[in-house]
Amino acid sequence: MSEQTQMDTLAYSSRMLGWAPLGKLLFVIAILIVNIATASVLVTFVTLGIGLTLMAYSTNFKIPFIIFLAILEAFAILIFGAGVISVNGTDTSTVIWDTDFLWMHFHMTVDSFNKAWLILLRGTSGIAVMLSFATSTPIPHMSLAMKQVHMPTELIEIVVLIYRYAFLLLERMEAMWNAAHSRMGFNGARTSINTVAAIAVGIFIQSTSLSDKSQIALDCRNYRGYFPVFSEPAKTGVKWLIVIVVAAVAIYMFGEYTADWINMAHLILGVE
Amino acid sequence: MALFEVRNVTYSYNSRQKRPSLNDISLKVNEGRRTAILGANGAGKSTLFYHFNGIFKPSAGEVLYNDRPLDYSKPALRELRNDICVVVQNPDEQIFSSTVESDVAFGPMSMELPRDEVDTRIREALDMVGMTDYRMRPSTQLSYGQRKRVSLAGALAVRPKVLILDEPTAGLDPQMAREVMELIDQLYCAGTTVILSTHDVDLVYSWAEDIIVLNHGELVYSGEPEEYFSDPEKTAYAGLARPHTFSVNSYVSKMRGLEESPYPRTTSQFIAKMAPEGAKGGHVRIVPVKEGTEAVEKTGAVGAYGYRAKKLVEAKGIEVDYMYDALEMCMQDAVKSKDSVLYCDEVLVDMAVDRIRSLESFGIKAEVIM
Amino acid sequence: MTDETKLLEARNIVYYYEGNKTPSLDNVSITIKKGVKTAILGGNGAGKSTFFYHLNGVVKPASGVVLYKDVPLSYKKKAKRELCSHVAVVLQNPDDQIFGQTVKEDAEYGPKNIGLPKNEVEARAKRALEQVGLWDKRDQNSLQLSYGQRKRLSLAGALAMKPDVLIMDEPTAGLDPQMALELMELAEQLHHSGTDIVLSTHDVDLAYMWADEIHVLRKSEKVYSGKQEGFYSDSVLSYSAGLLAPSMFQMNSTLSALRGKDPAPYPRTEPQLIAKMVPDKPRGTMQIVPFKGAITQEIIDSKKSNRIVGIYGTEVRKSVASANASVDFFFGGLESCLSQLLNGEDVALFCDPDCVDLMEKKIAEMSQFGDPIQYQIEEPIVVEQHTEE
Repeated sequence: MSEQTQMDTLAYSSRMLGWAPLGKLLFVIAILIVNIATASVLVTFVTLGIGLTLMAYSTNFKIPFIIFLAILEAFAILIFGAGVISVNGTDTSTVIWDTDFLWMHFHMTVDSFNKAWLILLRGTSGIAVMLSFATSTPIPHMSLAMKQVHMPTELIEIVVLIYRYAFLLLERMEAMWNAAHSRMGFNGARTSINTVAAIAVGIFIQSTSLSDKSQIALDCRNYRGYFPVFSEPAKTGVKWLIVIVVAAVAIYMFGEYTADWINMAHLILGVE
Repeated sequence: MALFEVRNVTYSYNSRQKRPSLNDISLKVNEGRRTAILGANGAGKSTLFYHFNGIFKPSAGEVLYNDRPLDYSKPALRELRNDICVVVQNPDEQIFSSTVESDVAFGPMSMELPRDEVDTRIREALDMVGMTDYRMRPSTQLSYGQRKRVSLAGALAVRPKVLILDEPTAGLDPQMAREVMELIDQLYCAGTTVILSTHDVDLVYSWAEDIIVLNHGELVYSGEPEEYFSDPEKTAYAGLARPHTFSVNSYVSKMRGLEESPYPRTTSQFIAKMAPEGAKGGHVRIVPVKEGTEAVEKTGAVGAYGYRAKKLVEAKGIEVDYMYDALEMCMQDAVKSKDSVLYCDEVLVDMAVDRIRSLESFGIKAEVIM
Repeated sequence: MTDETKLLEARNIVYYYEGNKTPSLDNVSITIKKGVKTAILGGNGAGKSTFFYHLNGVVKPASGVVLYKDVPLSYKKKAKRELCSHVAVVLQNPDDQIFGQTVKEDAEYGPKNIGLPKNEVEARAKRALEQVGLWDKRDQNSLQLSYGQRKRLSLAGALAMKPDVLIMDEPTAGLDPQMALELMELAEQLHHSGTDIVLSTHDVDLAYMWADEIHVLRKSEKVYSGKQEGFYSDSVLSYSAGLLAPSMFQMNSTLSALRGKDPAPYPRTEPQLIAKMVPDKPRGTMQIVPFKGAITQEIIDSKKSNRIVGIYGTEVRKSVASANASVDFFFGGLESCLSQLLNGEDVALFCDPDCVDLMEKKIAEMSQFGDPIQYQIEEPIVVEQHTEE
């Protein structure tokens, strides 16, 4: 949750803040679809390039450490997944590597190798593109985008409220964490478990009390269930849709045309 | 005229309570008076003012606003809450938008005002609380004092007729506390009725004209402060202590065989009363701040009183000694026979002049130069 | 006489809060001495509580060093365990510090965590709860207490660690005036019985009445360390630190200046100011009645005769409250009695037996402002309590 609040802080200082949130969202979805639809590795390189460029523009690569860690974590999972795929080849193409290790049997073929790379690149470029969206679109803008696609308002309200109160509860959690340390609450496994449980209870109770009082405070302000955004980002116009469709189609066509241009096994391992 | 009237109101939060939160209370709040609601924790202060804006409906008795019983229908309550704004003690309960701007915009926007009017109001409200530079900040990046100011700005942007503040200075350092009180005075002088609830008796004594004292849901006292604090039993009964200036004045006057009245409410008034005979007062030069006001000659310490005055001195690069609590500091200088200059928002000038001239009734005459 | 050995010292502490570029503590050096009542003024909430967490080793500074009794802190587990039984921190929000379902469980939390044997854990919890006056509520649900009671519970949790120094962040914030007086009385009693107290507050009047020494923070820097008068006499310094001089100080220094007199000695409390302003009025006398056990209205009235009655001390106050007895000054007993005494009234002060020497000390302080106060210490009255329910 602290990643999300950090993300929002980042988003508010992004250069892409004022772009139409729905436009950005549709663009991201289009790119992801094209990524999956194509079999061309070159396309994934192109979309990765697009994602990284947008991220650079959006954040100037000033990424808070916690988010960087989260990205690394996602990347590590991708690599692991791709690795598993690469050593489980079941096809009939040239075998690159075949060995047994402990109880596992590794069978790497050219196809499985290429497939693994395709997935790795798809995943990475997908992450990059999604991040460019996340780092430039704070939750209130996202909720605007969601409203525009006619998602139910209750759902949107829940998302925004969770975001808002997550921050407050994080503050309380940090305070309790430090207070527990002062009384040696993390001195050993059993003590730590007890402490974490106590913190969970404490936060739960504080949150219910906060929500009660907030209800009253919001009523005092004539809150009617939606959160206004005064400086609204741009509206999604026809221009966006044209750009998205043209870009998606162009990239897909390019993918079809270049499907066999790059063979990762050939490129990296020199195998035919 | 009574702005609010509460007649035999009883209210409980839930049926399991041993004692009702408000127990057969009847009182009046007058228009255009600085009113403070005093009481210990749990006395019922917040419960009371949530009856004023219709958040709570009494189980017995009635609540009147401008001599008419409250209409609890939704549209009527919405109207009411545009007239009466409550700012709660904990800003985190009240700030719900992600940026300062959208939170302050909420009030005017839900009043369906045109966009540039909303913009003006946001700008003005942020100016008044000194948060202009923070307009586009995410609300999660603010310190506690800044959040308190934003929640206040949110109410100011609505331009209510009545502003109710729950513990407005709690958790604030002395400087910020004084700045908030200055802002409140400014609103009061411009016509807003301000009601605050607090248990800071020193603050109340220097500010309030009327006090309402509650204890365990019952009315202990309603009226002017002196009569209440003169009764130590009543004060202790409500869980309060006596203000320092009141207490010391009371003892010392008795011991010197003087009249307790006139009752000094602030340190400068107290000093004026206790000063040796024949002490001479300094003078205060008041410079009303409006379009085109220029700096004047520095004849002593310089103070800025009011947010427009503060903007002026910053813009003109005027060297200022007293950026907060300026009026009281100039008055203290005056009783020490020193001169001072006070840049003062127009709307506050009359009040400043009255206060400075009040020193004479305590024994030291301070000149006011305009 | 205070033993001026260093207890806790922070040297050139620099600390950055989570990814911020500007430090929340910038080269802060503060020394806390044994036996000296210390108050930390100014600064914002985040900076102050972070600073306190440096003192008990929970937070490590980016640069600079923290020393306890002249030994730099080691942040290894064993050393931290040692330290937290010497330095305890109580934060402003009690709800952030409650870890036990019942009052007793919460007080036992700390001692249990450091692995003390069961009977020691229970003994410490009992003692801590008695010190704050919550022992009779020991089986109550900790979160169902009132705000003031939860604040005292968080204090008990820290006391159960038997610290040498107890650091309290804004102990009176959110408390109404009488509860604030009660808490300060408790702080006074604790300090007097050997647990050094350091507190942070925005309330300059409170600090002025209580502290021997102050340290002033402004934004992220320390701007002053030393006696309070030195700070407030420099009006430019105190004003620019966002702090107004306490009303006692302002009243005294201005009136002294007007009369051409020396502002010293500086009165810190109401009776001291009154004594200085009116030195020659005939005074009354004081009877100090040490009391332990279950008080009754008869006992109070027997001492009352024509005296004004006040009380001082957690136990006595509890006893008077449960007997529903009436006294003239339930809170702020000592100060109010002294003020009345100066006005010629005779007064009686019921107090906890272990507070008698503290009372004498405070009465002796009045001698700076005129003739010594005439007082008499009565024979202690001990009334057997019924066995505890």
